[in-house]
Amino acid sequence: MLRHQVFATAMRQWFRIAFPRNYLDRRKRAGFLFVLPALLFFGSVFLLPLAQSVTYSFYKIAPGGAKEFVGLRLYEKVLTDPTFWTAVGNTVQLLLFCVPTTVVLALAVALGLNRIANLRWRNVWASMYFLPFATSLVAAALIWQWIYDPIYGFLNYALSFIGIAPKKWLQSLVEVRPAIAAVSVWVRIGFDTMIFLAALQSIPQEYYEAADMDGASAVQRLRYITLPLLNPQIIMVCILELIFNFKIFDQVYATTQGGPAGESQTIIMLLYDTAFKYFRFGDASVMAVFVFVTLMLVTLLQWRLFRKPVEY
Amino acid sequence: MNSIASASASSHQAGLGLKQVHVRWLITLAVACGAIIVFFPFFWMAVTSLKTAPEIQRVPLQIAPDHWLNFNNYFEVFKREPFLRYLLNSTIVASISAVSSVVVSSLAGFGFAKYDFPGKNVFFLAVVGILMVPFQSVVVPLYVWMNDLGLLDTYAGIVAPDLVSVFGVFLMRQAIETIPNDYIDAARIDGCSELRIFWLVILPSVKPAMATLLIIKFMWSWNEFFWPMVVISSPQMKVVTMGLISFTNMYFIEYNLLTAAAVISILPILLIFVTLQRWVVQAVVMSGLKG
Repeated sequence: MLRHQVFATAMRQWFRIAFPRNYLDRRKRAGFLFVLPALLFFGSVFLLPLAQSVTYSFYKIAPGGAKEFVGLRLYEKVLTDPTFWTAVGNTVQLLLFCVPTTVVLALAVALGLNRIANLRWRNVWASMYFLPFATSLVAAALIWQWIYDPIYGFLNYALSFIGIAPKKWLQSLVEVRPAIAAVSVWVRIGFDTMIFLAALQSIPQEYYEAADMDGASAVQRLRYITLPLLNPQIIMVCILELIFNFKIFDQVYATTQGGPAGESQTIIMLLYDTAFKYFRFGDASVMAVFVFVTLMLVTLLQWRLFRKPVEY
Repeated sequence: MNSIASASASSHQAGLGLKQVHVRWLITLAVACGAIIVFFPFFWMAVTSLKTAPEIQRVPLQIAPDHWLNFNNYFEVFKREPFLRYLLNSTIVASISAVSSVVVSSLAGFGFAKYDFPGKNVFFLAVVGILMVPFQSVVVPLYVWMNDLGLLDTYAGIVAPDLVSVFGVFLMRQAIETIPNDYIDAARIDGCSELRIFWLVILPSVKPAMATLLIIKFMWSWNEFFWPMVVISSPQMKVVTMGLISFTNMYFIEYNLLTAAAVISILPILLIFVTLQRWVVQAVVMSGLKG
């Protein structure tokens, strides 16, 4: 009954906006017309294709365009394919390398920058950390590939001074994932630092003065004031990094192309190859749905756990 | 009595101060070392781009190039690949998406910030929800559409999904919300139409936000790689990020050329970023977006 009434009211309101009778109606209509282009765009570029992705995942699509409904067969095919799970596993391993590293390093950098009293120098150091943020992932990955070069690369050269034998980095089965993760860390550290630094600067100085009165040590101040107050930002940055790195593609495509021996094959790399190299749109759509559902679950889980949605 | 107390207090402070000075120096040192490490790849890229092929293969490695003004690699980049064309393509694509983003976002930001219409909050939540849809999840249907519309391998095809971003709508809504309603009402009393209010009252007051969005969006479009890889197939339509990749499609990568190309592709963005960093950082922090 109540829902029925709400619906009727909404319909009446929309009718009045479509056929405005007075000035206020026209104003509401103007407001709606202002947001309409954006709504149409997001609807047609994200919502509609998302629905279509879900539909595609139930169809076997021949390269010519002929469709055949196959129910959940493609899900069965993709989700039992070891290649798919290897890619998922690699992606998760990359996440485990780079998300904690980025967040911890960025936090340390932000805490350090916040302690530098000379504003001019603080800005100089800060902008050096921010620079990679403006660089394309492709360029970043290629610069690092040169640094990682097993024979002429700078990294092996630098490590030789502390007695570490040359490594093959991107060409090694063991080191390829940490090496790619390091590129992500390098690119993302500035972004996270920006967010932490802004949050640190908004903490009222009185808290620290009060802690000083009580004779709190630096570690105690960090443990009992700074970190708890930074908690929302830490969670937000963790989620953003998780989402960003789950979609890792550019760096891998530009350097290893998933190699050596598929050790750096990631889920989006697999999706790209499946869709645009082998033109198996159905299989690729199953992966697309998998990616969407996984990232949505992560976001929703975080909303459930921390009540308040991340303040974007 | 009083003076003794204050004297002891000040000496206590001086002692603490000395320790703090040491700690501060250590922190500064650590931060500076980190910054230099983070900056190093840029330096290495620039230095490598000034070396010749035999120079970069020297063992033991030599850091400085033989000639600091050897720009041959840069000329070679333009000779090997239509790199000027790639730069032009990227500029066109990034400019269109930046401008359209500013226009549509400021309209939507105005609507969301200053109007009341049925379902406004639902619509806004829906826009927020878009953030949860990864672009990679919609790429296959978008490709099919582009194919059906005949937009594969065209500028329109590259910019189509990049015309507006949720980030922009957020940024403009937040900026417009700070404009006092009185200004808008005053304009209404003077007989301004809603569109004229947007043009004469709103836009002039949010110029900084518009400029910031323009720059950030340009930067993101310039650095885009995944979607151009999907829609573009012919060499003359490639954007800069794809152009970089074409220097790696060889058994042996000529890193002196590759780094020169990388410098060319990064430099414009880096210069803009460094000049306007304060605003960019502010906007990014404000919305914490673009995951």
